[in-house]
Amino acid sequence: MMKKLSRVLSPLLIAFLVLGSMSVAAAPQPAPSSSLVSTQDALSADQVSADRERIHEVLARQDVQDQLVAQGVDPADVEARVAALSDAEVRQMAEQLDDLPAGASVVGALVFVFVLLLVTDLLGLTNVFPFTR
Amino acid sequence: MSHLLERPTPRWQPQRQAWNARTAGVLLLMAALLLLSGCATSPRLASPSDMGIAERTYIDGVPFHAQREYQCGPASLAMVLNYSNVDVSVDTLIPQVFLPNRDGSVQPEMQSTVRRYDRVSFVLDGNFPSLLKELDAGHPVVVMQNLSLPAWPMWHYAVAIGYDLDEQLMTLHSGEEADRQESFRRFDATWARSERWAMVALPPGDLPVSVGPRRAMDAIASFEQANDARAALPAWHAVTERWPQDAMAWFAQGNAEHSAGDPEAAAEAFRHATEQQPDMAVAWLNLGLTLESLGERDEAHLALQQAATLPSHWQADAEEALRRFRD
Repeated sequence: MMKKLSRVLSPLLIAFLVLGSMSVAAAPQPAPSSSLVSTQDALSADQVSADRERIHEVLARQDVQDQLVAQGVDPADVEARVAALSDAEVRQMAEQLDDLPAGASVVGALVFVFVLLLVTDLLGLTNVFPFTR
Repeated sequence: MSHLLERPTPRWQPQRQAWNARTAGVLLLMAALLLLSGCATSPRLASPSDMGIAERTYIDGVPFHAQREYQCGPASLAMVLNYSNVDVSVDTLIPQVFLPNRDGSVQPEMQSTVRRYDRVSFVLDGNFPSLLKELDAGHPVVVMQNLSLPAWPMWHYAVAIGYDLDEQLMTLHSGEEADRQESFRRFDATWARSERWAMVALPPGDLPVSVGPRRAMDAIASFEQANDARAALPAWHAVTERWPQDAMAWFAQGNAEHSAGDPEAAAEAFRHATEQQPDMAVAWLNLGLTLESLGERDEAHLALQQAATLPSHWQADAEEALRRFRD
């Protein structure tokens, strides 16, 4: 009995361990910390470096606008969406929009995955199926 | 194991091998289970009295919006914004934060959309005690979870509204379920996969209880950039009230006062910044320029001299300003 059980469970768990140890490709990157001085120099004569940064930022914002349109956002909404982003967020979006996790995706409906996730749900590691609680 | 097989006992060998295989299987299983539970233990927490929070809390009156399709992002935002007295519907938020081709919403846009409704979005330190402290303070928290495994992610936003330390339960408005209860263990396992991303939306002037001055200032500076200085002023005042020793906070408040059209108040704030940190060249510079515009030439001169003398990123600008001032 034990032998049978371990024969069935071992490959599953090995597979799970291998998958679990894979690098998390879609994990969110920590937001780069923005230096407050540059966001706060609307004042005064600190214009030279600020202007240069502003040019980069304008380009990045344009880039993010194009990316949002490519992601299916109505062009009429794009400008206001980009305007609300901070410099750090614009950089994050411009550099890694494709890698950022998007809340509410679906899991591929493979049977193997289904069984695996059922097991991990029962182990309390995941929360895919409402009925496992 | 190899020296066992080298022993001259051929009659025993097959049996031993079977026994070895079974032992190995069982050991592997046990090791696997140990490892598995190793990555999802219940979060270890200090005692409630050490954390300064109640045993349990439930934030009353957070409206629930059931998500449709993949729109847990807009639904979660609507819940926290409505709770903060912003009258906005999920349908209004969808075109503002949802990415149709991704079937979801990304974190930077969750943060930025909050700003469009005159609320400051603060990203919390990614740890369990911070989350509990915010809930204890009555701030509902948007959290990002991966309900599935890293290899097949199922990213999800929910709103945490309560906890029970005794029962080890989180209460969340999540998906299609209001007041859903999840064990700390399961919640933390799924939340940890987003590096424990958590965000609160507060009116300018309110601060999260758990964040330090840098995080607070980053959030408010972003808010100020997307809105305007006048709207951000109450938030800066709250920061200097909580961290009066923080020169950067005074400096930021000075800039906001100046942009909002009150140079006297700005100069006062810049003065505080230089008192707290006498080598903060950029504060001397802004103080000097503000005083110059106010016609207080003597004090302006001294301030600009300070700025030009101190080594800093802004030294060249300060020297330039000083030259111009003398001419």
